Amino acid sequence: MMSRASSIQPPRIAVWLVGLFTPDHEAESIPGDLLEEFSNLASNSGVPFARRWYWRQSVKTIAHLFGTGLRVAPWSTGAAVAGGYLLGSFVHGLPDKVLSAVTDRYLGYWSSHFKAYMFWATDGMWAAHLILSVFVGCMVALAARGREMVATMTLAIVLCTMAGVAYFASVAKHWPMDLALSWMLFQCSGPFASIVGAVIVRTSRSAARSRPSGA
Amino acid sequence: MSTRDYLGEFEHIVVLALLRLEDRAYGVTVRQEIEFRINREVSIGAVYATLDRLETKGYVRSRLGEPTPERGGRSKRFFRVTAKGLAAVNRTHHALQCMTKGLDLIRSNS
Repeated sequence: MMSRASSIQPPRIAVWLVGLFTPDHEAESIPGDLLEEFSNLASNSGVPFARRWYWRQSVKTIAHLFGTGLRVAPWSTGAAVAGGYLLGSFVHGLPDKVLSAVTDRYLGYWSSHFKAYMFWATDGMWAAHLILSVFVGCMVALAARGREMVATMTLAIVLCTMAGVAYFASVAKHWPMDLALSWMLFQCSGPFASIVGAVIVRTSRSAARSRPSGA
Repeated sequence: MSTRDYLGEFEHIVVLALLRLEDRAYGVTVRQEIEFRINREVSIGAVYATLDRLETKGYVRSRLGEPTPERGGRSKRFFRVTAKGLAAVNRTHHALQCMTKGLDLIRSNS
């Protein structure tokens, strides 16, 4: 019975999400406690109930860890967020400058390959925006050691809030609906890409930390 | 830290749970003790956030136990109330007693 209960695993996504937000000094205790209670519930009340319980606990635990991360180190987290905002403001202007320089340099080529130019001016710009946002997320996460997700998600919330305010205050009023929604999607894809960057940093740090103990 | 520091509501509940559990106090048992005694579902994150805060204040002390297979080879983190923590509980109890003395809470509520 016990071996059957212990072979049942909690929801992998929930385990992964809790791991992203758990500080280093709780890396043993919080996931261990959740797994222990999950195994007991799975054998006593059934796997579906235990899985629902695990998800509910994970969401509440992540919310608490997020709040605690901000409360414990507000200044360093704030500094990482402000630095990320400034870095983002700087790097997101670069693709436009590069495209302008390349266009000026190879004007003859672009005029005979207009479709290629349009591709770089639209999809290429979006791809560059996403790649640079991942870079910004990585930088913020590297600066906020131990609170990678807290700092990057705070930056993402700030950026999405600013985009939302701009959308309702101006963009939605003056632009056609489809263009306004595309603008909003473009603005919110950056913060999401930054979170992906933080996940990369956090995951690689966790892997580096667990490697020596596993050896 | 001031000697006039009182425990917050959830801090108070968590310290009392630690005192009840004695040597068996770790995340799971603390969470279950609170749920059993006051019928309030709390998250493991809330318990650890409070325990970390209490440890920073010097009211509790923690130590890691042995890794166990049912926890995926992870260790339990056991907690104990310090003398300073015990003084804080007594201070908080005394303050609450002073504030409630002479009050008819059942009649005040109706």
